[in-house]
Amino acid sequence: MSDVTLRGIRKSYGALEVVHGVDLDIKSGEFVVFVGPSGCGKSTLLRMIAGLEPITGGEISIGGRVVNDVPSPQRGIAMVFQSYALYPHMSVYENMAFGLKLAKTPKAEVDQRVREAARILQIEAYLDRMPKALSGGQRQRVAIGRAIVRDPKVFLFDEPLSNLDASLRAQTRVEIAKLHDTLDATMIYVTHDQVEAMTLADRIVVLNSGRIEQVGTPLELYREPVNTFVAGFIASQRMNFIDVSATGNGLQLPGKKMLALSHPQLSQVRTLGVRPEHLELADATTADLSGKLAVIEQFGEYALAYVELPSGEAITIKLEGAPDLQLHDTIHIKVPVGVIHLFDEAGRALR
Amino acid sequence: MKNQANPWLTSNLWVLGLGMLPAILLIGILLYFTAWAFAFSFTDLALVGRKSVEWSWVGLENFERLFTRRGFLESLWTTVIFVFFSAIVGQSVLGFLLAAALRGSRSMLRSVVEVCIMLGWLLPDIVAAFLWSATTAQTGLINQLIITPLGLPPVNFINDYALPVVTIANIWKGTAWSYLLFSAALDSVSREVVEAAKVDGATPLQRIWLVQLPIIRPHIATNMLFITIWTFTYFPLIFAMTGGGPGRQTETLAVFLYNQSFARGNLGFGSAISVAMLAIVGFLSLFYLRLLREPK
Repeated sequence: MSDVTLRGIRKSYGALEVVHGVDLDIKSGEFVVFVGPSGCGKSTLLRMIAGLEPITGGEISIGGRVVNDVPSPQRGIAMVFQSYALYPHMSVYENMAFGLKLAKTPKAEVDQRVREAARILQIEAYLDRMPKALSGGQRQRVAIGRAIVRDPKVFLFDEPLSNLDASLRAQTRVEIAKLHDTLDATMIYVTHDQVEAMTLADRIVVLNSGRIEQVGTPLELYREPVNTFVAGFIASQRMNFIDVSATGNGLQLPGKKMLALSHPQLSQVRTLGVRPEHLELADATTADLSGKLAVIEQFGEYALAYVELPSGEAITIKLEGAPDLQLHDTIHIKVPVGVIHLFDEAGRALR
Repeated sequence: MKNQANPWLTSNLWVLGLGMLPAILLIGILLYFTAWAFAFSFTDLALVGRKSVEWSWVGLENFERLFTRRGFLESLWTTVIFVFFSAIVGQSVLGFLLAAALRGSRSMLRSVVEVCIMLGWLLPDIVAAFLWSATTAQTGLINQLIITPLGLPPVNFINDYALPVVTIANIWKGTAWSYLLFSAALDSVSREVVEAAKVDGATPLQRIWLVQLPIIRPHIATNMLFITIWTFTYFPLIFAMTGGGPGRQTETLAVFLYNQSFARGNLGFGSAISVAMLAIVGFLSLFYLRLLREPK
């Protein structure tokens, strides 16, 4: 019984409304990631669930109980902050025990719960150290440990990995996923990093300017984005958007080539979206698009080629392996019809 | 790492010496005055008269007088009370409470309070002393506004409660410093740490007492160090308000030193008093500097 329900949540600072009525149901035990560009309201939303930010309008319930006016400690939540927010004057043990001590938990139980959390996170060896003497990754574990000992119904993570370096971030990401599996608690996780969102989430909530753009599993969002914003935000390489004009039996591509296509709403199509990994190289006769290779990035297992079309548009293609392409060569590209996304004038997806 | 300075500078001792000259002069003058006071504390040098020229060494006699004659120990006690209540309790606690309370409050209220307490700090000591004397005198504002309308006989506060009045005046005058220092210190406490304490279930009072205060402990020690030294040797406000009186009720060590050295002209004894003050302040500083150290 630790589902979280948001009903018409609004947040204003003075006359400025930053969250415009968010409705969301988070099921018990679910791992939900709020993702979006900075300033989209995702952190504000999390802080309102945590009780750190008053709610301007709407209703938040946790475990079936409306918590609008319930102070944070009684909401049954625990929060992990971006800066870890450890108490610098307390040892790791005291940091983790602080909340329990305030709640007047018996000493033996405090000790048992702290040691249990330390065991799960493998930080037993540092219990007597001060936070200052820990590395970034260790501090992050302590911060998570402090959340675990409270035995919360809902874990809230506010960009917990953004202060870690890349390799540690990947490692901690896996550990958080394992932790979710072990604890079986509801987790709400805020990030601007779509890789974290894709890899961790049961469901992703894409936010933009204080509104929910789309809610869905990572693969739903990848396969069926509802608009150009979600299509451009989700996945490692940004989707290519190409301006097209619709004709009777297909789409007019830049460079005068036609893409034969039939679609019930073909006449409304203004933009064609296609992911870099779905584009293919072709020869001059079968190509749909042609342009000059402006930049090529070789990653070894794959390469990203940035192609400039004569119309000025830039297209990214992801190529397997290490293709032997020369800069400024003309590149011919085939657009496979089965994997394209079509958007209307307002950027909404046409299915 | 060794020779990072300009090689032309390091190889030219004359230029180097010239550059050090201001520092050497400054340190020299400081040492000279300290040594002067220290040396003359063993003499019977007077401000005027025969002994201002034909002074002689008297050994430890001046220091014996500190403890055998009336004056020094009484003044030391007055000073301790004055420092404790006006600086440590008054300025420090009031400054912290103001800083904690005004933190995160609306900017208008904050600005008004800040301007008010800064005015006390910026007002010249002599002007402040005159205002406080005038306000607390028998015919002053407090009697006119509060005591007389209540039908009570007027009270001459500055005369009957001299030390408390001087103490309150100094709290009013010096709180701005502590407020500013604690404001800056509290700003350095990360907002997320305070929020983490909030989520952990700490009440506002517990957040201050168990989280914020321990984090800014070095700042508290620094502030204590400053205001203790300043208040211990503070002279103009008290002297201008009461001159040490009535009787010797407000004669702090600084006023006592002045009276002995310049009113009575005993420069030798005055030097001994200043050496004693230096020793006491030095001892207090060591105590605070220990507080500043990081806990192990």
